[in-house]
Amino acid sequence: MISLSDFLMLSAGLFCIGLYIILTKRNAIQVLIGIELMLNAAVLNLVAFGKYDKFNNSGQLFALFAIVLAAATTALALAIILNVYKKYKTIDPMKMDQLKD
Amino acid sequence: MENFLQAIDTLTTRFALAIVVLPLLAFVINACLHGRRNKLAGWVSTFAIVTSCVLSIFVFSKVWNQHQVHQQILWFTIGDIKLYAGVLLNNLSALMLLLVSFIALPVHIYSTAYMKHDAHYKRYFTYLSLFCFSMLALVVVDSLALFYVFWELVGFSSYLLIGFWFTRDKAVLANKKAFIMNRVGDVGLLTAIIIIYTSFHTFDIDQLFGANALVKSTALHLPDGWQYLAFGGIFLAVAAKSAQFPLHTWLPDAMEGPTSVSALIHAATMVAAGVFLLGRVYPLFNEQELNILAVIGCLTAFMAATIALSQNDLKRILAYSTISQLGFMVMGMGVGAYSSSLFHLITHAFFKCMLFLVAGIVIHELQHIKQANNLDIDAQNIRIMGGLRKQMPFTFIACLIGGMALIGLPFTSGFLSKDGILVQAFDWADKKDWVFKFIPVVALITSWLTAFYVARLLFKVFLGENNLLKLNPSVKLTISDGGWQYKFPLLFLGICCLFPFFSLNPISSEHAWLLKGFSFVAISPTTIYHVVIPIVLNVISLLVVYWAYLVYVKRALSSFSHGNFLFKFSYHEWYIDRFYDRFIITPVMALAKVVKWFDITIIDGFVHLLERIGIVCAKIVEWIDRYIIDGIVHLIAAIAMSIGNFARSFQNGKVQYYLFSMLVIILAIFLFKILI
Amino acid sequence: MNILSLLIFTPLLFGIVIMLLPSSLRNSFKYITLLATLVQLGISIWMYLHFKTGAEYAGINTESQFQFMQKLPWISLDLGTLGKMQIDYFVGIDGISITLLVMSSVVMVIAALASWEIKDNLKGFFTLFLLLNTAVIGVFCALDFFLFYIFYELMLLPLYFLIGMWGGARREYAAIKFFLYTLFGSVFMLLIIICLYLSVKDPSTGNHTFNIIQMMNPANYDANSVFALLAHKTLLGMPARTVGFVVLFIAFAIKVPVVPLHTWLPDAHVEAPTPVSIILAGILLKIGSYGIIRICLGIFPDVAASSAFWLGLLGVISILYGALNALAQRDLKRMIAYSSVSHMGFVLLGIASFTAEGVNGAVMQMVSHGFLATMLFFLVGVVYNRVHDRDIYNFRGLGTQMPKYTVFIMIAFFASLGLPGFSAFIGEAFSLVGAFESPATNGGLTYWMAIGGSIGVILSAAYFLWTLQRMFFGSLSLKGGDGWKTALVDLSTRETITLLPLALLALILGIMPSLVFGKINDSVLALMHFIMNK
Repeated sequence: MISLSDFLMLSAGLFCIGLYIILTKRNAIQVLIGIELMLNAAVLNLVAFGKYDKFNNSGQLFALFAIVLAAATTALALAIILNVYKKYKTIDPMKMDQLKD
Repeated sequence: MENFLQAIDTLTTRFALAIVVLPLLAFVINACLHGRRNKLAGWVSTFAIVTSCVLSIFVFSKVWNQHQVHQQILWFTIGDIKLYAGVLLNNLSALMLLLVSFIALPVHIYSTAYMKHDAHYKRYFTYLSLFCFSMLALVVVDSLALFYVFWELVGFSSYLLIGFWFTRDKAVLANKKAFIMNRVGDVGLLTAIIIIYTSFHTFDIDQLFGANALVKSTALHLPDGWQYLAFGGIFLAVAAKSAQFPLHTWLPDAMEGPTSVSALIHAATMVAAGVFLLGRVYPLFNEQELNILAVIGCLTAFMAATIALSQNDLKRILAYSTISQLGFMVMGMGVGAYSSSLFHLITHAFFKCMLFLVAGIVIHELQHIKQANNLDIDAQNIRIMGGLRKQMPFTFIACLIGGMALIGLPFTSGFLSKDGILVQAFDWADKKDWVFKFIPVVALITSWLTAFYVARLLFKVFLGENNLLKLNPSVKLTISDGGWQYKFPLLFLGICCLFPFFSLNPISSEHAWLLKGFSFVAISPTTIYHVVIPIVLNVISLLVVYWAYLVYVKRALSSFSHGNFLFKFSYHEWYIDRFYDRFIITPVMALAKVVKWFDITIIDGFVHLLERIGIVCAKIVEWIDRYIIDGIVHLIAAIAMSIGNFARSFQNGKVQYYLFSMLVIILAIFLFKILI
Repeated sequence: MNILSLLIFTPLLFGIVIMLLPSSLRNSFKYITLLATLVQLGISIWMYLHFKTGAEYAGINTESQFQFMQKLPWISLDLGTLGKMQIDYFVGIDGISITLLVMSSVVMVIAALASWEIKDNLKGFFTLFLLLNTAVIGVFCALDFFLFYIFYELMLLPLYFLIGMWGGARREYAAIKFFLYTLFGSVFMLLIIICLYLSVKDPSTGNHTFNIIQMMNPANYDANSVFALLAHKTLLGMPARTVGFVVLFIAFAIKVPVVPLHTWLPDAHVEAPTPVSIILAGILLKIGSYGIIRICLGIFPDVAASSAFWLGLLGVISILYGALNALAQRDLKRMIAYSSVSHMGFVLLGIASFTAEGVNGAVMQMVSHGFLATMLFFLVGVVYNRVHDRDIYNFRGLGTQMPKYTVFIMIAFFASLGLPGFSAFIGEAFSLVGAFESPATNGGLTYWMAIGGSIGVILSAAYFLWTLQRMFFGSLSLKGGDGWKTALVDLSTRETITLLPLALLALILGIMPSLVFGKINDSVLALMHFIMNK
């Protein structure tokens, strides 16, 4: 039997992998993938905790919203990455340090 | 007391003022004249002195043995005291007026010839007029303050004239010495005058020393210490001006000036000023002080006479004889022979002036020979002279008369005055302890010494063979008596050296008309000395002269050895200059050096020490400031900066670092939450 | 406009004019300065001629007896319960000031003429010169202590720059030494001024006051104040009035200068350019002695009279010490600087005698030294400008090379060494008369002091004659050879015109001392009366 804590464990694992990818990868696409992973860990949590609201299914509902928003932000992020690449000829986030000003 | 004028006296006073002012005018005119050799200068000065002479005869006739004339005007007010400037004409000042102008006149005439070729002819007469002005003013002023003024001006003009040839080092050294030594005397006089002033609150000579002398009054009298201090001051003044021991050494050196100047200033007038001062303030002295004067005068006379014996410089011999005769005068004052002393002052002025003029002629003529023949000789050295009577008979006779008067032989003026002093000295010693007998005896011996050196001078210069010819046979002796400017003064002075001018009785000094003018101190009754002394004195003097004749002309007796101590002692002028040099000048200069060192090292050193302490303190404070106080400030700043740097390191613009730090912070918050 | 204020501020006005003019007109600055000093001289002579004498115009401690007075309220702050601050612009003169004013004006003209030698930064020089002029005149006129102090300090600033910028090789050293020395004295003086201010009340208004004349009246002191005569307060364990006197005396003694506070003087005089040396020696030193007479004696007469012995002692030490030092110098200017120390010693000795003769003599000596020191420093400047050397040993026989110059040197030297007929003789003689009189009349001095002073007279003859003999007589021989021989030309017309009036003034004052004594005598008598009745 798969319990709630198994879902949570998986979600935490996904989150950690995503976090690791975000912090270490030198490629903006990979970072984006990491973000997706972390997002999906959060969505998984939403769905898993949805069992406590069986009437409104607000957990699933939020998950759907989140997935849709994630798709939108991903599209936006890819557009940003493309523009970054156009300007800097690189998508290594460590080489882009203009954010400090 | 503002102006107690009497109509009759006004004219006399005006004339007296004119006598004084005329030379001053001459001085001013000459100073403004153009051209160094302007011959006008000589005439201006001579004219002034001729007029002064005429006027002084008038003044003399009005004042001599009549009431004194005293007029004054307010000079200035200081404090509550009014100072007056005025003219005091009595027997003494009238006589001195006459003397000074009568000596100055021949000297002026003589100078026109003597200085004819000098490059600074004008300057000479300018100075000479300044001197005449100061000297004439000195004798007529009525206040001690003015007396001091002219006393020092006389010294100043003498300074100028001694250093007339200022490119000669010896002349310049001599005038410096003369002025400084005279300054010592001046300061003495100033001290004495101030002491008298502070006690009696007046400078008026008439009030102080006149008929009702304040100094003799019982109500106001000087305390003992002051009395002697005042005497000491006046003595210094007299010693400096009249070249008495111990301040006499400037006079021989002063012979560096032109000879005509020596004749006027350093033989007849200025050096007599000291004796004149004694005459003016005579009532001030008490018995002990007079004794001191007698002793010093006698010592000076003797010392100078011994020195004169061995000198070879013509003018130096005469200078020492002047000192010696001045010693006689001071001694005369000391023994109470007031009138004889002044008498000797007058007679001495004439014959000594004449002797100097003679010396001037001789030197001048020898200079010409020296220049004409390019000889390397000292024109003043009597050893190169000799036999000059053939070339200059007139001068020789003048010198003979002068010499006789100086020795004090009968029929000359010197006999009348000098014997008077000696006789009174014996009278005076009679009333005292036996110790005082030495004074007249020494004076007597001095007279014989005088006879010897005068004879030596006369014989060496005018008799015997001409040493110059002996040494340089090729020299042509172009020597003569000179023109009327030389002859007239000698003639005039020569007459004044003979007895009729002063007394109709050639062998009795008591009958001189001059002495009648000074009944100040009564002449003592006739004693045995009045007969014995003149005879003994003159007989032995003649013997001495004959002895000198044997030594120097006949060469019958051998000359004196130059090696013995007495000769050296005399030749080196008693080593007095050397003593001064070693014990006064050197220590003073050393003291000056020490003071300079003190100033630089101690006082300024102290200032610098303060400066250094200040700097060291400043350095320490600076160190503290830099490393401790500023250190703390820096530390705080450094901490702030490192924190800032640390915080800034997060702001590196790299997204992943930002995320990482967020993670760390969140973890930290969790840890914090867990632990607390 | 008050004539006295006009006298004080005329130079300042001209100074402002110079400051505003463009530098292209720099050649006219010296003429403007000369004009300013001449105008000033004219005013002071006018004042001298219109100065009223007599016992009713004596001045000293009676306000109504001062002449050409001007009194304007200047700073009057209402301090509420503390009363009112009362600082007046208060100027006025009495007999002692008038002679010094005329003397200073003459010296200023001479200094302006001597400024012809200044070649660089003319605008700065002449502006500072005129500022100094205003300050100096102001000191002699001020009767309000605050005003006095302002003028007194105002002198320092221009002098510091004048020495420090236009001076000789060691000018910075000399300027700083001079500045610190003087400041040392005046800073403590300020403390005493404030104490006096707090002690004295103007009887008419009841406020504290800086009025010097009111400070002289013991009735104006608060009964319990520090300096009140009867309160016998102490400061630092000593009687307060003595402390006050000593501090003020030290401040002025530095200026005089009195040994051992004199070492700024040789350096400052030697390094300063000729016009500044002239002002220093001619006027600045007199401000010291003027301050002693007006302030120390005026405000603390009781202490002054009882410390006569010490004042006299310092005077005699200055005379002898200065003279001996002068004897050992080989720099002509230094020699003259030390002779100033010696001659100013006579001033102190005369003042210390507390007799009418002595103080009259002291003032005479101040006036006379003003002219003679000016003359001497000008004469040194003449040689220095020609060959830039002042060492006595490097010259010989200048008498043949520069006869006119030698005549003036002889006049200046003989006048300075006290030859009768010149003013210094009158000054020194009466200072000595005072010194001799003092032991008998007020017992302040002792006999040997007077005798010590007399010995100074002999020494002064020694050093002046030695210099004359060494430098001017003998046959010509110069260290610089023919170069110097062509450089050492005789006096120019400008120099002769400058020197002649000085020589004549010294002579005229020597023959007619009443020109000075007539003006000062009443004031001196009033001062003596005032001191002796304390």
